[in-house]
Amino acid sequence: MPDIEIRLTVNGRKFARRCAPHLRLLDFVREELHLTGNKEGCGAGECGTCSMFVNGVLHKSCLLPVAKAQDAEIVTVEGLAREDELTILQRAFHKAGASQCGYCIPGMVMAATATLRRNPHADLEEIKEGLGGNICRCTGYQKIFAAVELARDVMNGALPATALEEETYRGSYIGASVRRLDAPSKVSGALRYAADMTMPNMLHMQVLRSPMPHARIAALDVSEAATMAGVETVLTCNDVPGVDNYGVFIDDQPVMARGVVRYVGEGIAAVVAENPLIARAALAKIKVRFEELPAVFDAEEAMQPGAPQLHDAYPGNVCKHTKIRKGDVERGFAESDLIVEETYETQAIEHAYLEPEAGLAYLDADGTVTVQAPDQNITHHRHMLARILNRPINTVRLIMSPVGGGFGGKEDMLYQGMLALAAIKTRRPVRYVFTREESFIASAKRHPFRIRYRMGLRKDGRILATSMYMIADGGAYAMSGPGVMNKAAILGAGPYAIPNVRMDAICVYTNNTPAGAMRSFGAFQSEFSTEAHLDLCAEKLGMDPIELRRVNAMRDGAITHTQAQLGSVSLLRTIEAAAQAARWAPGEPHRQTRGEQRPDLGGNDTRKPCTLGARLARITTPANTVGSASERKAVQT
Amino acid sequence: MKRRGRGVACCWYGIARTAAVDRAGAWVELDDGGTVKVTTGVTEIGEGILTTLCQIAAEEMGVRPKDVTLGDNDTARAPEAAHAGATRQTYIIGNAVASACRDARDKFIKEMAQHWNVPGELIDTRAGEVWVRGRDLRMSMAEAVDVLKKQHGIVIVGSGSYTSLHTPLDPETGRGEPWQSYVFGTQIIEVEVDTDTGEVQVLGVWAAHDVGRAVNPQGVEGQIEGAVVMALGQALMEDFTLKDGRTTTPGFAKYILPTSLDVPQVNSIIIEDRDPKTPLGVKGIGEPAMVPTAPAIINAIYDAVGVRITRLPATPERVLEALRAKRANEADIAL
Amino acid sequence: MLTYDQYLTPRSLAEAFEAIGRFGAAARVVAGATDVLPWAREGRAGDVHYAAVIDVSRIPELCGVELRGERVRLGANTTIAAFLANPVLVEHAPVLKHCAVWFADDQIREQATLAGNLVNASPAADATPAMLAMNSVLTLYSSANGQVRTRSVPLDEFVLGPGQTRLQPGELVGSIECDSMAGYGAAFEKVGHRRSLVISTVCVAALVRLDFAQRDFDDVRIAVAAVGPVPTRLTECEAFLQGKPVQPDVIRGAAELAADRVQSRTRREYRREVLVNFVERSITDALAELGISVSSASATKEVQHA
Repeated sequence: MPDIEIRLTVNGRKFARRCAPHLRLLDFVREELHLTGNKEGCGAGECGTCSMFVNGVLHKSCLLPVAKAQDAEIVTVEGLAREDELTILQRAFHKAGASQCGYCIPGMVMAATATLRRNPHADLEEIKEGLGGNICRCTGYQKIFAAVELARDVMNGALPATALEEETYRGSYIGASVRRLDAPSKVSGALRYAADMTMPNMLHMQVLRSPMPHARIAALDVSEAATMAGVETVLTCNDVPGVDNYGVFIDDQPVMARGVVRYVGEGIAAVVAENPLIARAALAKIKVRFEELPAVFDAEEAMQPGAPQLHDAYPGNVCKHTKIRKGDVERGFAESDLIVEETYETQAIEHAYLEPEAGLAYLDADGTVTVQAPDQNITHHRHMLARILNRPINTVRLIMSPVGGGFGGKEDMLYQGMLALAAIKTRRPVRYVFTREESFIASAKRHPFRIRYRMGLRKDGRILATSMYMIADGGAYAMSGPGVMNKAAILGAGPYAIPNVRMDAICVYTNNTPAGAMRSFGAFQSEFSTEAHLDLCAEKLGMDPIELRRVNAMRDGAITHTQAQLGSVSLLRTIEAAAQAARWAPGEPHRQTRGEQRPDLGGNDTRKPCTLGARLARITTPANTVGSASERKAVQT
Repeated sequence: MKRRGRGVACCWYGIARTAAVDRAGAWVELDDGGTVKVTTGVTEIGEGILTTLCQIAAEEMGVRPKDVTLGDNDTARAPEAAHAGATRQTYIIGNAVASACRDARDKFIKEMAQHWNVPGELIDTRAGEVWVRGRDLRMSMAEAVDVLKKQHGIVIVGSGSYTSLHTPLDPETGRGEPWQSYVFGTQIIEVEVDTDTGEVQVLGVWAAHDVGRAVNPQGVEGQIEGAVVMALGQALMEDFTLKDGRTTTPGFAKYILPTSLDVPQVNSIIIEDRDPKTPLGVKGIGEPAMVPTAPAIINAIYDAVGVRITRLPATPERVLEALRAKRANEADIAL
Repeated sequence: MLTYDQYLTPRSLAEAFEAIGRFGAAARVVAGATDVLPWAREGRAGDVHYAAVIDVSRIPELCGVELRGERVRLGANTTIAAFLANPVLVEHAPVLKHCAVWFADDQIREQATLAGNLVNASPAADATPAMLAMNSVLTLYSSANGQVRTRSVPLDEFVLGPGQTRLQPGELVGSIECDSMAGYGAAFEKVGHRRSLVISTVCVAALVRLDFAQRDFDDVRIAVAAVGPVPTRLTECEAFLQGKPVQPDVIRGAAELAADRVQSRTRREYRREVLVNFVERSITDALAELGISVSSASATKEVQHA
């Protein structure tokens, strides 16, 4: 492939470089110029981590062939600030606490800059529309909005420049909103995440992933791939020197498929080559002969006799069953005035951290193998790696690189074993960066749950018995599933004093993408059903849903569903605080069926409904003198 | 037609690892220039734990947060602090750092007491200064470190750890003490449902959460806001779907995440019910804040339009389908 | 991943046709290039290699916007951002600015072109219904014996099905001409799973003009996308309204005619219901832009549905 010459001005400096013609502007800036401030989050124009100015106009640089930007003036996030002085917007992001993991922030700062350049007086709606192409997974956007409004007001003189400075703290530092110490490195793009790291003589890894949900690997031939020019080595399960079976609670997972694949996306072999393009080409030369096995994709079907079995040690595919038995639920139901039943379903979701998985592995001078990656649990990953690599644990080293969002998704180990093996085998640094699509198919998801709910209550709202039967699809490997079942069972019935409780949380192996740790870890699913169910019960009792919760709330010294005694219980404090802040008007759910309207709606602590077109009012012509039509429509509640 | 409604939901959550002992360790050095070096295997995943630990170390040592340097998380260089998860970092590691700082500070006070020949109880430190109450003895922490090192040959180092004891569950009854500390919370949510399209816009969230003690209120708000919006995504739009084990949502074009145009105004109310079981009284917030949002949204949809969504996510299609079923049902009753 | 051996940026039609002739099917023509890179990825086309990518965005004949009497000519390379920024379009194609705010996001709008949106022929293309409503005709360029030839194809005949158009191999879209709709009230309605950067489940473009007395519908244009393989005009709704008084029940009556236009196999019931509601809402919103309020429309419906 012949190179082309690219001439660009980047952040005020002229560059001329010969490079492969197919590079995107993002690749050119990051890999050729080593300006790694802007990130690659999705490669498909969907997330905005790569937003850069091209001739003054903001573009998603993953959608721009570098040749299309020939002769253009590029400004990356590194080019915003001059001589170590952050811009007003960057300082406002720092002040407002607008960065968390920081991975989206370079792109977000660029989008905010573009928005205020287009209209220095942009109101909140126009700011939101200006940021509409940039995803943030950590902040909920609130502090980003606050930052952009702060910057706008400082730029316009509505607020003094001192509004950007840190407040002075009197009294304790504990309890003070000290500005985040890592924010300057995030708003400026200076912080290097794993995919931004390079080392001399570094190799690149790519992984062959299973296209089959369940199959025996009858033959695996990597010889042609291994002898390709530029390929350093190809790894398979045969390269694992130690115990090739790991997990968080249950050891059921190999570093790469060992004789069988159990989900689409499971790693089979890893190619280590001079560049990612060669590694990808080599993947296509690996020959795998699959013998398809019967597969099961539904958790309840997987529990049936005769269903395909995933792991010999777990007949019936049940990998965990957590039970809680308190009191006598049948008696509780018998004594109830009202029994309410419903089935709830929650779906699998993706963590969608903006930073796809990445890592860099190398050997220290003393032979210690080091893996630098955005791991949420380097302690446990080191334990597992020492066993996998059959090495003394003090010759295995893990360094956490800045984590561009985790939410539990970087807790279950996935690729670190391959990276460590690659570094040991090649004795060179090896980097591996997932694509977004690879992250989707290979990494663990939130467990989808099906919950059969039965609750017995007295007419006064007192819950006498709760029974929850929860089946979770754990996918092909256990990962954090057993822990998720525990939390679902322990917390599922909610913070309510219930004399009789029966909980079953069952995690089932299927040939779906594995489920693992995710923020709120089983409690999201189980407490969702309880809180939705209580609203249904309030409706049936003709009760205010807050009152129903007050009646049942655990109080100081309560006994939990696992029969532990609590000390102070703050639940009622939070109920009263939320009700007061929201000016909650008591009444049964959907009171307007009786013609009664809620009086508490639409306060100035709610946002306006989004109608889009905030800027249309500015550009209308004399023929159309009014703004967006839908904006003028009255909201009918 | 746009209709509004409100819903409520509560949550509780256990802090740190479940039904298993949890622990972390930390080392501290009072360093040149009156700075403080803290080393612990903490993992910043964006929640702001590094800033939180710097505040804790600054408070305990009597320096300013910017004087604190945290070592990298490196299994070969730092003591174990285990994982970033289970809403445990401020609780477990924060208390470990406080404990290490108290160890170092005790040594520092003892040495300064000898240097000044005063009782240690009279010595205070704060914001980079050390002084003796009621006496004209005062110096910067930088000077103090210099004096201790050069005149007395003393390097001030401390270490500490924190342990949270939890018992496993009985396999048949589930009886046990899975955590020593719990948090509670309540969210009220206001939505607008478009009965022409089934779209749900979440307009307002009032989120009251007990965090024990808010080390950094802005950071706590950030956790609540982020959790609310992540849960909003699961409640209304996100869905990782598979067909015969192959995903039909392989990237962000098909897997829909909340954008700036989809998020409510989040009003956080921080409740501080200090935890008497720990040195700092802190608990946690990262995970619990995500728990009440989805049911509060679903309950608010019911309040607005009278349909119960029992299967997440409540996409426009599902909301409109439920409205259609409700109308058909009401028409049947009318006949 | 998309790879190619050459990236060509012809500066004239002649250069472009020379390159197209040289590479034939081994080349890919791009303008904004916003669709090709996401397409050549895992889960869609996977790894794709071309001998050449031919970027037509710098060909002067394909650029520019101008008013030509009662028609507006939009060069093929007109970006979606121009829908909001170009004064001629804002005045003479008022539906485009409403379409633009729903189209992808600010950054993609700067790069994505009108012709690209039409040629990709997605059933859910947002710009296509807006252009259909304005009686658009495409001018297509081709080359034979060194001569540039042109032919015209009305937009409602151009798109044949998902990803399929009447564009022949070697042909380029030169421009799109549409009616000047100055003075019309316009609206664009869209629903997806969120409000920014999202694929339409249903979208409707509408343009409305009233008679001199501001009482009756004089000219109504409505088009829809994402409810079948090809975006279409809702001619029966338009005809129903023609000459009728501006009244909520008249608008609702027109809207109900649209339901049977839904051909999609998925989410069919949903689309039927939303399409009817959108036709009603788009006409109401377009009227509101003219300063005419028909808010009782909602009240009528309320009575019907409560």
